[in-house]
Amino acid sequence: MKRSKKAALVLMAPAATLLLAGCGEQQQEVHVFHNAEECAAFYHPPAECQAEFERAEALHTQVAPRYQDQFECEADFGAGQCEVAPERHQSGSFFMPMMMGYMAGQMLNRGNLAGGQAQPQQQSAASNRSAVPTQPLYKSRDDRSTFRTATNQAVASQPGVARVRPSAVQPQRAQLVRRGGFGQQAAVRQQAARQQANRQRSYGS
Amino acid sequence: MKRVKSTPRPGWQAYAESLGFKFHTIDGEPYWDESAYYQFSLRQIEQDLEDVTEELHAMALDLVPDILANEQKLDQLAIPAEYRDALAGSWQRGDPHLYGRMDLVYDGNGPAKLLELNYDTPTSLYETGFFQWVWLEDQLMRGELPAGADQFNSLQDKLEQAFANLVLPQPFHFTSVRESIEDKGTVDYLLDIATQSGVDGRYLALEDIGSLDGQYYDLQGEPITGLFKLYPWEFMLEEAFAEQVKTSETLWLEPLWKLLLSNKGILPLLWQKHPGHPNLLESHFDTGKALEKGWLRKPLFSREGANIELVTADGKRFSEPGPYQDAPFIRQKLQPLPTFDGNYTLIGSWVVGDSAAGIGIREDNSLITKDSSRFLPHIILD
Repeated sequence: MKRSKKAALVLMAPAATLLLAGCGEQQQEVHVFHNAEECAAFYHPPAECQAEFERAEALHTQVAPRYQDQFECEADFGAGQCEVAPERHQSGSFFMPMMMGYMAGQMLNRGNLAGGQAQPQQQSAASNRSAVPTQPLYKSRDDRSTFRTATNQAVASQPGVARVRPSAVQPQRAQLVRRGGFGQQAAVRQQAARQQANRQRSYGS
Repeated sequence: MKRVKSTPRPGWQAYAESLGFKFHTIDGEPYWDESAYYQFSLRQIEQDLEDVTEELHAMALDLVPDILANEQKLDQLAIPAEYRDALAGSWQRGDPHLYGRMDLVYDGNGPAKLLELNYDTPTSLYETGFFQWVWLEDQLMRGELPAGADQFNSLQDKLEQAFANLVLPQPFHFTSVRESIEDKGTVDYLLDIATQSGVDGRYLALEDIGSLDGQYYDLQGEPITGLFKLYPWEFMLEEAFAEQVKTSETLWLEPLWKLLLSNKGILPLLWQKHPGHPNLLESHFDTGKALEKGWLRKPLFSREGANIELVTADGKRFSEPGPYQDAPFIRQKLQPLPTFDGNYTLIGSWVVGDSAAGIGIREDNSLITKDSSRFLPHIILD
């Protein structure tokens, strides 16, 4: 016999359709400021403003996006907006953007002179544990007004109160690994083939 | 060898999809075509295709040390100078190879002629090794084929043995370009077979491969120590992560030395070493002169018939556009594909390890087999 004795498949059965989680997630109110002084100027207790700022600053060195060199970092965040990261790679240090602000997830106890809505309810110790961790914020080179998280989620365009989906702003340890360095020829050839109305379907032969 | 009209299995499309064959029809055009099959005698298969495939394969492997020892040949094959050491290393270390497919012109009479070696990223694997096999078993069961009909197709058995015998790092990753469902199908099939052989295989989109300090990383941040890639070496070496090929501890399938054999420049080199061999077509590196009657020109690196130009014996000119204008070219004596019921027929003959492992047949409506070609099953019957 010139053919296989059996030809079985164990994995290629049709994948069950996964239903994506719906968009039912509750937004949560957070406070966004450039620094602790600005926070205090919004009639928040200075000590709390400072404590949350320091919490964000501590997280900054862990979550800020990493770049192989200063040039790559400044391409995204602007000249003079990057600093040396704690880690080193073979040919030098990683770079990361400077922290440009912070997002306080805890409900700050507003002073009575605060404008805007009153506190919705008294914060108990338990409910004060927010679903949004306090974290550093950044600003990109080409959009200096928007505050963004380390994973590039835009959260506010000015200081003050903002609303976010907690799942979208969970801090993650910065990735040192670069990606996307393979597959570029596929994109280039695809483009060339498209111009000749001659699609490339496979990169096999 | 003959083409026999046949009744397709009712509802085979839905069955194909249930088995993971998502590209049986492409842009509304049939790709898998069971409205006919090809029939061979056992002698045709064994003497004209199986033995010839193994002989050509051995001749090709035999050329690798010759090329590595000769800078001029490496230049002719357009091997980038900075990767020659890494390439030689992959050969000298004995980095294993898994599979390849050679395209043959054969009409049932006379010697099969080698058109080219697809030795780096061969596809049509699933349709050859699996779906063609299932078709034969189904049609035998339904009585549509004569009892005793066989098929030259031990591809899945041989791949299973290869994965069981190769010493591969674990886990072993498999990658392809994210947007190609056809390539994903081929890689899924290999991953499936590898899994059946006990390999801890994992899929990773090519674009998701990470790089740090001269190593490649998966999405979990673990170094990639073994990688099957359905993406051509000549592309990879031009891309941002190419440099790490020299330093990474990744075992590649196919190995870097396959860049020499998947290169059309291997055809003139084979001809130089074995002039007049009955299974070779006269070939030369292209000098840029106008094509004479009865010759074709193709780039060192190209896929799916792109950028091929030919002039028939009676002076008719055909050409296929494509995105590979940038490579050097070779010219090859034109051996027109045989026609069966008006279809131009090409035989893809598989090698797993160093053994011939079966054939897949493609038909096109022109002398140049392109990605619009259809895949037809075959049987052996005496």
